[in-house]
Amino acid sequence: MTTTNTDLLGKPLTEQERELLNVYEALKKLAAQSDLPPCAARNVRKALMSMWQATNDLDLQFEQLYEFGV
Amino acid sequence: MAYSEFWNPKNETLPREELQALQLLKLRRLCEWAYATTPFHQRKFDEAGFKPEQLKTLDDIRRIPFMTREEWMESLMEKPLFGDLLATDPVNAIRYHLTSGTSGRTPIRVLDSMKDWDWINEMWCYGLWGFGIRPEDTVYFAFGYGSFIGFWGAHYACEKIGALVIPGGAQTTEARIKQIIEMGATTVCSTPTYALHMWQKAREMGIDLAREGNVNKVILSGEPAGSIPAVKQQLEQAWGAKCGDTAGMTEVGTIMIFECAHQSGGTHIIEDHYIEEVLNPASDEPVGYNELGERVVTSFGRGFIPVIRYRTKDMVMKVPASTCTCGRTWDMYSGGIRGRWDDMKLIRGTNVYPRAVEAIIREYVAIDEFQIYVWRKDDIQDEIDIKLEIKPGHESEWPELQHKLAKDLANAHEGLRFNIVRMEYGNLPHFELKAKRLVDARPVAKY
Repeated sequence: MTTTNTDLLGKPLTEQERELLNVYEALKKLAAQSDLPPCAARNVRKALMSMWQATNDLDLQFEQLYEFGV
Repeated sequence: MAYSEFWNPKNETLPREELQALQLLKLRRLCEWAYATTPFHQRKFDEAGFKPEQLKTLDDIRRIPFMTREEWMESLMEKPLFGDLLATDPVNAIRYHLTSGTSGRTPIRVLDSMKDWDWINEMWCYGLWGFGIRPEDTVYFAFGYGSFIGFWGAHYACEKIGALVIPGGAQTTEARIKQIIEMGATTVCSTPTYALHMWQKAREMGIDLAREGNVNKVILSGEPAGSIPAVKQQLEQAWGAKCGDTAGMTEVGTIMIFECAHQSGGTHIIEDHYIEEVLNPASDEPVGYNELGERVVTSFGRGFIPVIRYRTKDMVMKVPASTCTCGRTWDMYSGGIRGRWDDMKLIRGTNVYPRAVEAIIREYVAIDEFQIYVWRKDDIQDEIDIKLEIKPGHESEWPELQHKLAKDLANAHEGLRFNIVRMEYGNLPHFELKAKRLVDARPVAKY
């Protein structure tokens, strides 16, 4: 669960934005696991790549993901 | 189904002061990332005495040194294949593309990770959605799908949007036209030149695309013609469809600007993902709205190869967002990309630098003098001829030389066809100083 309460511009997160950020953070945690089977590891990365776009577009995060190979 | 007019309503209508605050925050983080990871930027920042923490306001962007295509080329010539511009291990890449270089055969090569590649498609989503592409659309790509980045991002963007995608691929123009009709395509993605060529070919086949086709949107990219009023009008009548201009570049991987469905005569800048400065190319000072200047781009997208204050040499004229009635708060380029500040020529979507062509020609000892002649065939298709004279005593080499030179030039220019024309010896101008070997005989565009 995200501990952030605001977006990059300091505006309070909406309920939808909080949910999107929670999914994004959960995917990062999963991507950090080294023992996922390939079918999970690669699809988690695909999902993380997509959630990066949604959360980045909505000014919820601006970071790189290369440490996860994404 | 009712859809939002905007792909990202939050940022496409963000008040400009908030938009600029977002740009500043992203700029600082991008520079921190580039400085920490990329030798190319470390070196340049250090040489200029610039540190990311100096970015207190958006005007401080002027403290950052420019990045040029020449420096990029030098770096990758020194350290093939990618120079010292990569911010992360190439093992993280899933995609490779290239664009023709400024000298000889060496192209500019780029890599993208999964996230970068999806961001490339995301930028196309802004543009395609903004012009009216929806899940109900059937989108035809009249595109060759090679190493040239072209419409690759638009293809995946349409899949993301949920439209039905038809990849045209390696087919004849006739086969493509038949498929567009048969599948009831509602949208066609093409260069302006090829869209006109398809219309002409359809007429020869006895097909009136405006009456017999379902196409109501044509997405144009790769050439400035998409924003030239006369060409646009011709295309819209020919296809019986709205034509929307977009422009991108391999160096950032995707489009930076797009025309929205309101068609106000300009292209919106995707300002939550880019900073687009317009500078006087001689003084490097910013120019105001309604003044011609050079585009300098900073991209917040591809982290693999950070692009910061990159001098594009593109000629543009920025106008305020209020020029368009769509409600976006993003500034625009009136008339899209209007031309070039350097001698690069755009031929059927491919960048051609005269000095790169010359470097290849000079590998042939049998060639004496040459001229690069750019012209327009049937008011539609741009052509590039290499007119050349063979040195006396080398005439027997001509047949093989003609074939091999055409192949070498095409290989260095994403497969672009060069017409190799032999001239009688002494017919071309010969130079001692300041040679002018480039002739552009195409009509000048009127905006």
